[in-house]
Amino acid sequence: MSGTGGTPAHREDTAPAAGRVRRFLRQNSLGLFFLVTFLLALAGQAVAGHARFNDELRGDGMAPISFGAYLTTSDFAVDVTENWQSEYLQFFLYIFATVWLLQRGSPESKELGKAGPESDEEQMTGAHARADSPRWAAAGDWRGLLYSRSLGLVMGAIFLLSWLAQSVTGVAAHNEEQLRGLEAPTSWAGYLSSADFWSRTLQNWQSELLAVASMAVLSIYLRQRGSPESKPVGASHDATGVEG
Amino acid sequence: MRDRQPGPAPEHPGAGIRRRGRAAAVAAAALAVLVTVGSCGTPSERRDQVTAQAVRFERALDAGRDGDLCAALAPSTLEEVEQSAKSRCAQAMGDEDLPHAGAVRNVDVYGDQARVVMEHDTLFLAHFPGGWKVTAAGCRPRPQQPYQCEIKGG
Repeated sequence: MSGTGGTPAHREDTAPAAGRVRRFLRQNSLGLFFLVTFLLALAGQAVAGHARFNDELRGDGMAPISFGAYLTTSDFAVDVTENWQSEYLQFFLYIFATVWLLQRGSPESKELGKAGPESDEEQMTGAHARADSPRWAAAGDWRGLLYSRSLGLVMGAIFLLSWLAQSVTGVAAHNEEQLRGLEAPTSWAGYLSSADFWSRTLQNWQSELLAVASMAVLSIYLRQRGSPESKPVGASHDATGVEG
Repeated sequence: MRDRQPGPAPEHPGAGIRRRGRAAAVAAAALAVLVTVGSCGTPSERRDQVTAQAVRFERALDAGRDGDLCAALAPSTLEEVEQSAKSRCAQAMGDEDLPHAGAVRNVDVYGDQARVVMEHDTLFLAHFPGGWKVTAAGCRPRPQQPYQCEIKGG
């Protein structure tokens, strides 16, 4: 960016700006990487889903639909939301479960004997809040209680909303398929007890729970040098609550 | 669903996740709006279009306008009617014994598929580039099975 021409004053303006951008990218690379790959994967899912949906339509003697129209279908929406709800359930459960449940030797667990919400001193809350602590961490009233659980609560709320969205888009997709097969549609309440709803839900839950269990246990014995998700390579298998 | 009448410092690791959570919630809301509004009219407009096409079909049936009946059929249904009867659609439809349906009692529209329940008949319709077409007519419900239809696609 620098040294490509312009007046010295101009170069002085652009060089710090370019530096700020590079610094921003470097300091936020984790979030940005996953945001970009999320969007790419979502786009790929949409392209593949559109092709599959049109294959099904042609097979049933229906007219294929455009890519734009597919993005507004319940078929696409239910495929997206059924995965979202399970991911947020995974984080919600993990955040709350790791308050109380421990795993000897795992960097995903707190140290043995520290189960529970811990003291104000350990959590830097109430009277033990520091000058740079979030304002609500120092509050001794409902704000402190709420802020102390805000991560799990937000994850739980997004899980419930995504699951609700899955049920609403799921019943529409299911009924569209029913009508295509000359069968009667079902109500939302009826869909909540249907095989389709629970098959979509549980196939996602089982994979998320397996992934969490694998991470908690495999990280006891295996290492990833430089990753905060792993213990340091030389740490003993018994070391618990140690991150690299 | 289209037709249904949905720079903190590193010492605060939760903040990044919460921001992503809020972004996901906004994306979900946008998706819900997009899916609800859709690209082919509001749910009530599509319901009206389906009802109008079903009524047109039944009026053509009552008036014996077999050509209009054929024009209202979905391509695969028209093809099946002609193949089964081994004759042109208009002649084949004249030989069909479709019931006179009566008034519309209930309309269900999901995506590009619809069902119109009438007093003495049930129609199934699907959306094509030229509008809503009848995919099956003369349909009677059967327990735990698809409808039994006098005419339908192959």
